[in-house]
Amino acid sequence: MKTTLPSLVAVASLITVPLLSAQDHGDVATGQQLFNDFQCWQCHGYEGQGGAAPRIAPTAYPFEAFERLVRHTNIMPAYSPNVLSDAQLRQIYAFVQSRPEPPAVEDIPALRDY
Amino acid sequence: MSSKRKSDGLNRRDFIAGATGAGLAATSLTKPEEGLAQQADEALVSAVPPSASAMAMEGDLPAGYRAEEAAEYFVERPGSDFMVDVIKSLNLEYITTNPGSSFRGIHESIVNYGGNSQPELLTCPHEEQAVAIAHGFAKVSGKPIGVLCHGTVGLQHAAMAVYNAWCDRVPMVILGGNHLDVTHRRTGAEWSHSAQDAARVLRDYIKWDDTPMSLQHYSESMARAYKIATTPPMGPVAVMLDGHLQEQGMTGTSPTIARMAPTRPPRGDAGAVAEAARWLVEAESPVIVADLMAHDQRGVEDLVALAEALQAPVVNQFGRMNFPNTHYLSQGTGIVSQADVILGLELFDTWGIVNQLRDRVHKDVVRRARPDARVIDIGVKDLFMRSNYQSFQRFNPSDLSIAGDAQATLPSLLEEVERQLTRSRRAGNADRERRWRDAHARTRRSWIDAARYAWDAKPISTGRLYAELFQLIKDRDWALVSDDNRQTRWARKLWPLERTYQWLGRSGGSGLGYGAPASVGGALAHRGTGRLPVAIQTDGDFLYVPGVFWTAAHHQIPLLSIVHNNRGYHQEFMHLQRMAARRQRGADGSSHVGNELNHPAPDLAMITRGMGVWSEGPITEPGELRGAIQRALDVVDQGEPALIDVVSQPR
Repeated sequence: MKTTLPSLVAVASLITVPLLSAQDHGDVATGQQLFNDFQCWQCHGYEGQGGAAPRIAPTAYPFEAFERLVRHTNIMPAYSPNVLSDAQLRQIYAFVQSRPEPPAVEDIPALRDY
Repeated sequence: MSSKRKSDGLNRRDFIAGATGAGLAATSLTKPEEGLAQQADEALVSAVPPSASAMAMEGDLPAGYRAEEAAEYFVERPGSDFMVDVIKSLNLEYITTNPGSSFRGIHESIVNYGGNSQPELLTCPHEEQAVAIAHGFAKVSGKPIGVLCHGTVGLQHAAMAVYNAWCDRVPMVILGGNHLDVTHRRTGAEWSHSAQDAARVLRDYIKWDDTPMSLQHYSESMARAYKIATTPPMGPVAVMLDGHLQEQGMTGTSPTIARMAPTRPPRGDAGAVAEAARWLVEAESPVIVADLMAHDQRGVEDLVALAEALQAPVVNQFGRMNFPNTHYLSQGTGIVSQADVILGLELFDTWGIVNQLRDRVHKDVVRRARPDARVIDIGVKDLFMRSNYQSFQRFNPSDLSIAGDAQATLPSLLEEVERQLTRSRRAGNADRERRWRDAHARTRRSWIDAARYAWDAKPISTGRLYAELFQLIKDRDWALVSDDNRQTRWARKLWPLERTYQWLGRSGGSGLGYGAPASVGGALAHRGTGRLPVAIQTDGDFLYVPGVFWTAAHHQIPLLSIVHNNRGYHQEFMHLQRMAARRQRGADGSSHVGNELNHPAPDLAMITRGMGVWSEGPITEPGELRGAIQRALDVVDQGEPALIDVVSQPR
């Protein structure tokens, strides 16, 4: 059955960020490097906070949804495995997944008065 | 001993007096022969007494000169003095210029005859910035100013910025020096700077131009040019000033200043407006989309009244500040998909509202609007058109097109809507209002929430940049003299935009080199009003015309500029990345080639400091941002420009 993007996003929003293992931490560092090298930040920002394209972090999409967004939806330019390997994509995913929750609006003086 | 020099017209004192009283009325500088003596006497009474040196130079033969010699050496009543009188009669407050010999005659007249006041010359290191200053000034003040360009070279430098103004429907009067008569051209550069048809380089993207052959011709052409420029659809016009005409003394019958009364804007046909009102009243889900509409606050107020009468959401495309973003009926573009009737007001791109062309390998079109949605298009775009440059966008088969200035048409449309609204239709408004208030509040909360992401990130987030700045200016009468399209549209999301002067908006033609000078032009229009002009300036645009910051310093134009410095032409990074991904190659770190403004990173604060502007940066620490902004504001409050360079997230 074909999975639609909205349903993937809805599922993703219900998933919490898992604790990271040492292996994961290694992936995060490499993933950040790849995130920068592949210029993901140009559209999504260095923290994945969004900009020209939607926010992708710290919300944790399941990897399958993340992969589908990157490779198959044609919403963003499709990055095929010829350019970005599955292993690299997983490392980028680890970085995106690792981004910490930002401060709450109430804790930011410049925002809480709006 | 000197003797009174004979003249075939009036001397300078008479000339000034005649011109001073000109105003907007037609004023003859010489009367018919029988009235000449009386006119001269009246002029002498009303004129400001000339200085002794002026008397010696202009009224009498200079000591030691024979009449023949004086005629060889000196000019009385130069044509360019009259040109200045015409400019004064049109109330062109400023003329931006980069100096050039093709207009040395009128340059001197503006300074020494006109007193460099109304118009005042603003020195610009490039014509592109001269035009963009005029662009920004007109968008804030609603009034055109002049731009004086040096022959072929100056007009070509100006061309890109003129195109922006054309696309953005902004009026300005471009004056170009030129030497038509080959027998009067000095050898060398004066030939390179002259053209048979000097305005041709601009003709595809100006409304009108002329090359006057006499001063009377010039007078009438200036009045015509002003009227055409300021009649919707507004736009730039150009009048060429022949060098010989500027420099030679006037002979024979003196020219008159042509009377100029502004043209009333066109209004939509009454029957068509009534039909539009009927569609809107009968619609279940009408949506209003406004773009290049509001000329002033009256347009905003009328649109609010119309929207409230219908309880119809308004999508502001922000070509102008058309509708307060704090109003609950202010909604996003997505709402168009719900509409059964779409009312477009001065839309730059109606097709692009109704449809969406997706940038994919195989371009596909998705209709954004419902299949049964009817489109009413009110605006002036069909009234004037050029064919070469394609700024008119894709053709949209609107169901009801009404030719007329939308702001001028709004009162009659509102009246018709009020007349046609039935009791049952009005009864449904309370429910509509509740729905839109909820939607507006939800959207606003989501935007504030979005700004907290990457709050502490380095480079500094653009959301934080806008939020921190606003906290420091929110209690002032501020005006944003820039666009926010390259910064995730944070001003539209976070700042309360309610007045037309609070928003400068986009360039029109999306040509770089607009942002910095347009912000200076906007700040110039705000000068003396008590308002605080602030601009978020992009680094790519900055590097096109950095000299404009010298202009701001030289002419003491208060303006706070904050550079959103993402170290590159960020839009193009994304395009290159998209191309590489499509071709399955080169995606790993290659998109900086040709796009980055780094290695070395230009020190923008040092550049503007070198222009005489107080500057600070690069600011890289988020925690240092607020203090830097405060220090810059202190400088602006002293009446000077200030700039902060902030290394920022890409958008």
